[in-house]
Amino acid sequence: MKALVAVKRVIDYNVKVRVKSDNTDVDLANVKMALNPFCEIAVEEAVRLKEAGTVSEVVVVSIGPKACQEQIRTALALGADRGIQIETDEMPESLGVAKLLAKVVEEEKPELVILGKQSIDSDNNQTGQMLGALLDMPQGTFASEVKVEGDKVNVTREVDGGLQTVALNLPAIVTTDLRLNEPRYASLPNIMKAKKKPLDVKTPADLGVELKAHTRLLKVAPPAERQAGIRVSSVDELVDKLKNEAKVI
Amino acid sequence: MSEYKHPLTDAEFALNEVVGFDALCAENGFDDINSELASVILTEAGKFGTGVLSPLNVIGDTQGVKLTEKGVEETAGFKDAYQQFAEGGWNSLIADEAYEGQGLPNVLGTAVNEIWQSANMAFALCPLLTQGAVEAIAHHGSDELKQTYLPKMISGEWTGTMNLTEPDAGTDLAAIKTKAVPNGDHYLITGQKIFITWGDHQMTDNTIHLVLARLPDAPAGVKGISLFVVPKFLLDENGNPGARNDAHCVSVEHKLGIHASPTCVMSYGDNEGAVGYLVGEAHKGLAYMFTMMNCARQAVGLQGVAIAERSYQQALEYAKDRLQGTKKDGSRFSIIKFPDVRRMLMQMKSGTEAMRALALVGGAAVDRAARATDEAVQRKEQARLELLTPIVKGWITELAQELTYLGTQVNGGMGFIEETGSAQHYRDARILTIYEGTTGIQALDLVGRKTLLNKGEALADLLAEIEETVVALEGEAAFAEQGKALREALNAGQEARTWLLENAEQDPAAAGAVSVHFMMLFGFLCGGWLMGKSALRAQALLDAGNGDPEYLKGKLVTAQFYSEHLLPRTKASLDTIRKGSASIMALSEDQF
Amino acid sequence: MAILVIAEHDNSTLKGATLNAVTAASQVGGELHLLVAGEGCGAAAEAAAQVAGVSKVLVADNAAYAHQLAENLSKLVAELGKDYSHVIAPATTTGKNVMPRVAALLDVAQLSDITAVESDNTFQRPIYAGNAIATVESLDPIKVITVRGTAFDAAAETGGSASVEAVAAVHDAGISAFVGEEVAQSDRPELTSAKVVVSGGRGMGNGENFAILEKLADKLGAAVGASRAAVDAGFVPNDMQVGQTGKIVAPELYIAVGISGAIQHLAGMKDSKVIVAINKDEEAPIFQVADYSLVADLFEAVPELDAKL
Repeated sequence: MKALVAVKRVIDYNVKVRVKSDNTDVDLANVKMALNPFCEIAVEEAVRLKEAGTVSEVVVVSIGPKACQEQIRTALALGADRGIQIETDEMPESLGVAKLLAKVVEEEKPELVILGKQSIDSDNNQTGQMLGALLDMPQGTFASEVKVEGDKVNVTREVDGGLQTVALNLPAIVTTDLRLNEPRYASLPNIMKAKKKPLDVKTPADLGVELKAHTRLLKVAPPAERQAGIRVSSVDELVDKLKNEAKVI
Repeated sequence: MSEYKHPLTDAEFALNEVVGFDALCAENGFDDINSELASVILTEAGKFGTGVLSPLNVIGDTQGVKLTEKGVEETAGFKDAYQQFAEGGWNSLIADEAYEGQGLPNVLGTAVNEIWQSANMAFALCPLLTQGAVEAIAHHGSDELKQTYLPKMISGEWTGTMNLTEPDAGTDLAAIKTKAVPNGDHYLITGQKIFITWGDHQMTDNTIHLVLARLPDAPAGVKGISLFVVPKFLLDENGNPGARNDAHCVSVEHKLGIHASPTCVMSYGDNEGAVGYLVGEAHKGLAYMFTMMNCARQAVGLQGVAIAERSYQQALEYAKDRLQGTKKDGSRFSIIKFPDVRRMLMQMKSGTEAMRALALVGGAAVDRAARATDEAVQRKEQARLELLTPIVKGWITELAQELTYLGTQVNGGMGFIEETGSAQHYRDARILTIYEGTTGIQALDLVGRKTLLNKGEALADLLAEIEETVVALEGEAAFAEQGKALREALNAGQEARTWLLENAEQDPAAAGAVSVHFMMLFGFLCGGWLMGKSALRAQALLDAGNGDPEYLKGKLVTAQFYSEHLLPRTKASLDTIRKGSASIMALSEDQF
Repeated sequence: MAILVIAEHDNSTLKGATLNAVTAASQVGGELHLLVAGEGCGAAAEAAAQVAGVSKVLVADNAAYAHQLAENLSKLVAELGKDYSHVIAPATTTGKNVMPRVAALLDVAQLSDITAVESDNTFQRPIYAGNAIATVESLDPIKVITVRGTAFDAAAETGGSASVEAVAAVHDAGISAFVGEEVAQSDRPELTSAKVVVSGGRGMGNGENFAILEKLADKLGAAVGASRAAVDAGFVPNDMQVGQTGKIVAPELYIAVGISGAIQHLAGMKDSKVIVAINKDEEAPIFQVADYSLVADLFEAVPELDAKL
């Protein structure tokens, strides 16, 4: 069985994000980038399935500029077998990403496609689901457990009320949630081996996909600043403020 | 307090811009090794340091180790961390590919080692000692000895220790009394060794002790010492740990710092005698130790960089958070705004960056000396390596004392309270000027073997290379002040060298008397040299629009600070050197 | 064209999040229809018909939609959605699971987790974990949107009288099946990832008194933390310690009870979105960082708060 894992190069989760003074976007100049944490979990899950003998090959794909080869190499160092970079300088929207991935799926024919549930920059949580729709493949989103059983995969999902388990016909899409696994640290021998693993570069044109903008980013602003606090005189007032002003309960 | 975070940007800058990693690899046969790979390795090692080793640092300090009937029990959690470390292949980074090491350049090993030492110095001492043991066997052992012991020591499956010191023989190694008596195909060792780092623990199935001992017919003094391999568990016919050898830890020291590193008194041969195997030829033990000295001493220098960096990170975080000033509008501000606090932080920052650059240059010198193919080039590289080593070890560890002191000072009262963490770094640093050759020994080595013995030729070479940087700085208007400061420091170095060559013969106490000032002068001079190089490179990158402008501009300021605050010490050192030994030696013992 | 809101329900009643989504939809402007899909969901459809501002309720009652399987539901919503200008769902795990599929089937973008409506084609949404707010314009003819519930008021549950229309279309892709579920785990969420944290300090007096915080935490689905002082005094184990040398947390809501607010504790929670402090000492430093400060005896205030939530 082949597993295809899609990974994204994003801002390192430790970095404090700053909005550009012209409010056109977030300032990413010289900012530390890394493998999206949910994507790392996806790679780890695929590698574990390989170690368990369920999956025989793990292919990792990333869409982005040349620099995203760094993240592909990281995934290779974690145990993936080969990488594909789809080179674009402008980051496509989720639908565009899904369309590109759909072409890769058609070529590679994996039984399992594993993605992070969302990337920590856009926080969209859409790509895996859109890919499922385009390919008519079932999806197990926000997975906290994945078990392949014969020609199906049972996915336990983290939902608002607790946990839900669905059985999906293979080939299927899984998107990872935080509790699915704890990614390993890359070992030095694997980092060294990763240099030699194959990494193919393609373009959207190679895949026959024309990317289209469906949205326009008008403005990016910092969130409302922390205002000075107020004294409340009673529990009633506190509850009222929390419910209606702060809207946290 | 936050966990340790590897200063990747500065490490990469030093590696690429000061050492010239890509060129070093290309010129020295390190195929497929380049700065891109180094970045990946440093990034992943950084994650491990932060995620696995750093969280154990405080626990190690507070819980320490215990000696029980089982032997030495290390701090809880260390075994698991060590297994992850070994499984991660980190133990094998610079080791020979013939024994499944990764064969990576020594300078890269130095850069990665900074992470382990900074994240958890007590823990990192274990692989550091194993490295020494590996080198002893790899350089001098028979093929059989190498094949039997190296693979598992390189993988980390077994750890190693270095057993030199005895109660009566520390600096004076020639005075050791441990005996080795021939017994069939091996020897029986009896004696006691002290200050043995990670002498015992429960983390691995075996520990391989490298022990200096005297054979029965050995000549007296330094030429009568031999080196032996003494495994904790003798190996069975399959090469696996079997019978317990007569080598035991009989007590662990209660120390000022590095509590989680078991410092053991090892007793060999309490019963029948500990089985040992001769490494190389008889009576060559100390000579073998000397061949490993560069790496061992530089490793300790590197520990100085690491502990200074850790202390700096903690102090910086505190300075940003601690509010101790009130503005007119009632709002408070953090102490990092006070000029004197800022000065202390800049001292720590510039000192650490200079130390890091020197440690990496020293690490690279090992590669250059080992891989030079041309004989003349090899001699020069070897001389440079030998010269740098005492400066790396002696200067960096001494400056680290000052910088960790400042780290605690920035914390104010809370710095004296263990909880903030600064005190541990201050205490852990204290051993660095002592072990692996005290500051005094490093200084004597510098003035004696490394200067007087070659009539100052190696030093002249170094000074000439430093002058190139001085000239480059003097040639740029923006660096006029720094060029002037480095020129003055260079002059101080040249005059100190001249003074030493002229006075050492007439006054037998001269060399020893001025040695530490001499070493510190050259340390600060080398630091200034490399910060000058860094400034020139940073400017070039800024002009080309490459790299992170905030970091590079910061580097320019840091280099300027170094030249204004640390480099002037070279002049004071020269003043003192010129005064010679008179006031040092004049008092009789009774007058003290 | 009208707006279709996808209701979140448990077959008998509507989930609160639906009402917030209805408000968002009403801010877009236009006729509002509500889709109730499920199996045996008649009662929920009736409740939907009562929601103020809704003119029509579509009911798709079929085994294919039981458990809201995304593969089936998305096909239904896409089929219905092509006749609407906007298809909106609350950003619950169901909404997030289904709506991107709907968007892809309609070949349009999806806007996730909007927090404000600026016009019928321009919306605000949080990015970078809420460290930035993006204003996005949709260029698509059909806007597929999920709504962050806490950003909008709930629409009134009564006052509406919508018509109810059965939807016959049955979409059963047959590629997925519901196996089971475990609702409401009894374990509290993990301290460092909890959305709400209730912490106790030295003011709690002893370990047993932490029970009143636990009760409050259960009400809020919160994790329970403690200050170093409480841990040092032996009230609670040290894995509950929030602070510089304990855990760093940044929940949506942090309630500090009987905590003075030493700098070391603040370092562990100062990035919380909303900070509430309850302490009987008016001068406690915690009040400098709290958004809402209640000077009161915690042994009265906390049970009262628990009762009134």
